[in-house]
Amino acid sequence: MEYQRVKANLNLYAVLRNLETLVVCDGTSAELIKGWEVTLQFSVFRGPTLFLEFHNGRCRAGEGAHPSPDVRLFFLSAGHLNRMMDGKGSPIPLKGFTHLSFLTKEFPQLTDRLEYFLKPDDTLLADAAYQEVNTCLNLGVAAYAVRELATSDPMGSLNAASMPDGTLAIRVLPDGPSVSIVKEKGSYAVGAPRPENPMAIMSFRDMGVACDLMNGKCDAFAALAKGDVSMKGSIPMIEATNLLMDRIPHYLG
Amino acid sequence: MDTYSYKQSQALFERAVNVIPCGVPGHMSPAVNIPPSAYPIYAARAEGACFWDVDGNEFIDYMCGYGPMILGYRNPVVDGAARRQADEADLTMCASPKMVELAEALVDTVDAMDWAFFAKNGGDVTNYAAMVARSATGRKKIVAIKGGYHGVAPWMQALGHHGILEEDHAHTLRIPWNDTAAFEKVIAEHPGNVAGFIATPYHVPTFYDNVLPDPGYWQKIEAICRKEGIVLIVDDIRHGFRLNMKGSHVHYGFTPDLVCYCKALANGYPISALMGTEAMKNEAAKVFYTGSYWYQAVPMAAALACLEELKRLDAPAWMLKQGADLFGKMESMAANYGFHLKVTGEPSMPNVRLTDDPSGMLHQAWCAECTKRGAFFASHHNWFISTAHDDEVVARTLAICDEAFQVIKDAAEKGRLAS
Repeated sequence: MEYQRVKANLNLYAVLRNLETLVVCDGTSAELIKGWEVTLQFSVFRGPTLFLEFHNGRCRAGEGAHPSPDVRLFFLSAGHLNRMMDGKGSPIPLKGFTHLSFLTKEFPQLTDRLEYFLKPDDTLLADAAYQEVNTCLNLGVAAYAVRELATSDPMGSLNAASMPDGTLAIRVLPDGPSVSIVKEKGSYAVGAPRPENPMAIMSFRDMGVACDLMNGKCDAFAALAKGDVSMKGSIPMIEATNLLMDRIPHYLG
Repeated sequence: MDTYSYKQSQALFERAVNVIPCGVPGHMSPAVNIPPSAYPIYAARAEGACFWDVDGNEFIDYMCGYGPMILGYRNPVVDGAARRQADEADLTMCASPKMVELAEALVDTVDAMDWAFFAKNGGDVTNYAAMVARSATGRKKIVAIKGGYHGVAPWMQALGHHGILEEDHAHTLRIPWNDTAAFEKVIAEHPGNVAGFIATPYHVPTFYDNVLPDPGYWQKIEAICRKEGIVLIVDDIRHGFRLNMKGSHVHYGFTPDLVCYCKALANGYPISALMGTEAMKNEAAKVFYTGSYWYQAVPMAAALACLEELKRLDAPAWMLKQGADLFGKMESMAANYGFHLKVTGEPSMPNVRLTDDPSGMLHQAWCAECTKRGAFFASHHNWFISTAHDDEVVARTLAICDEAFQVIKDAAEKGRLAS
């Protein structure tokens, strides 16, 4: 049960919310959602809730209930949601029956696109444009997953306990995507992409290095030693975050 | 001053990553140095307080090879004894007489300890100590300090690290340093089931300031252990022979049941020792524990010579005084540049940290600038000095520090540290 609960949190708050990023960094996805004026809400019984608001060619993700979603998709349990995310189950629509066609035909095109970028193979990763979208999405998944794992994964919360307060900035150089993770008084959050005065900075030399590392194609310690990845500032913060990121495949691998 | 470059080191590392996980694994990994580009990766030779990397750059070593070097590299007394033993025999089918001589020498040297057992690494003997404590008490739990390091066996590593199972930690209980109430609480929570308490003489957590024992701390811990029948284990691997030849427990005025030694025992030759009181001897004998190379005579001969030389030089007292002088001057120098250099722990192996920037980036930059000029400073770990860190070495170190302070002051003023 614990495993399913953590996985459901990750699926909603780290993976599905990434549609927000996908439509910004992938032209095909942006094209798909043009004209979508709909708000979807995904709710797990006694579990997480996420809404996705498509409006004016943009997507906004939010945690918790939306005041007036057009479609409410309900899941009886965390396992139910996880089965849907694995392509083996369907939600229970509680509201928005007029959008059934959208849910079965249009929306899956977008989630398929997300899956395409989050489940790469070596041929796809050789393409620079693909690499860029994959890296943007992986960074987003990682940042939100760290927050979730630090809070709800039993092993993750042990790792996170050693993390000092402050902000960790994760950057792809020279001007690639960036995220930040904030710990404050025992709470974890995803912060501004480019925070001021971070306590720690982890930088990837370029998109290729970031992509290789996040797809498990290279040894992180060797990459650090070679300067492909650099870290400075509070190393306990980076070390704890890396251990948390290493837990992601346990749930989403 | 010219700053160093590391082309040969980096070229070797490129080869290494093809055939060795991490290139250089473990605590010698260049990944822990911030930034790695400021630090050498491979050493070619060493002498006295210094080593030279494969690019020919000379470094005053303030890590002393992470502690083992205490009399200077290539010390003629120790190396001479080792060479003479190597000419006779090293590892054969039988134990060496040197093992008996070394055990006798250690028993004569270390206060309250009546026997010695030899292995190779520090972790060998901390693990053995835990086994002896369990055998002696018939109990399971080992109490250790949060952030305390006793080696890399699964029960010693932090839970959540790769390869470590929750089950590995089932019998390890962590409490804060300097907190005797926490010790009493954990004993009450596991009545009759705490076998041992293990800690270093003072707290040396990686990445954080060192913390000395509060007045009366060790005496209270000892009293609780005696009352509850818990085996008191001192991990003197890092501190050993840098505070007191008779043992760090003498420095702080208490009597343990077991003491673990390694690093400085043989000035770099591979040997560790568990020492114990008479009451622990039979229990130690019952625990089967051994290793292929634990009977090598060369490190034992080196250890004998090292102990003699440390005594002759009154090495701990000299290093404490020399460290106090060096780090006192370093603190004053930092203050002249408007920085606060915080020196914690004892002066023969202190932790040194610039506190002006809470992220540690300023401190990392200063250590890197010093290293690039020839004083190898780690930013994440306590430092060590040796009897080879003489006045000339100290003077050279301070000149390097001076220039590095100026460099980071300029960088900080230009806002370049967090870029």
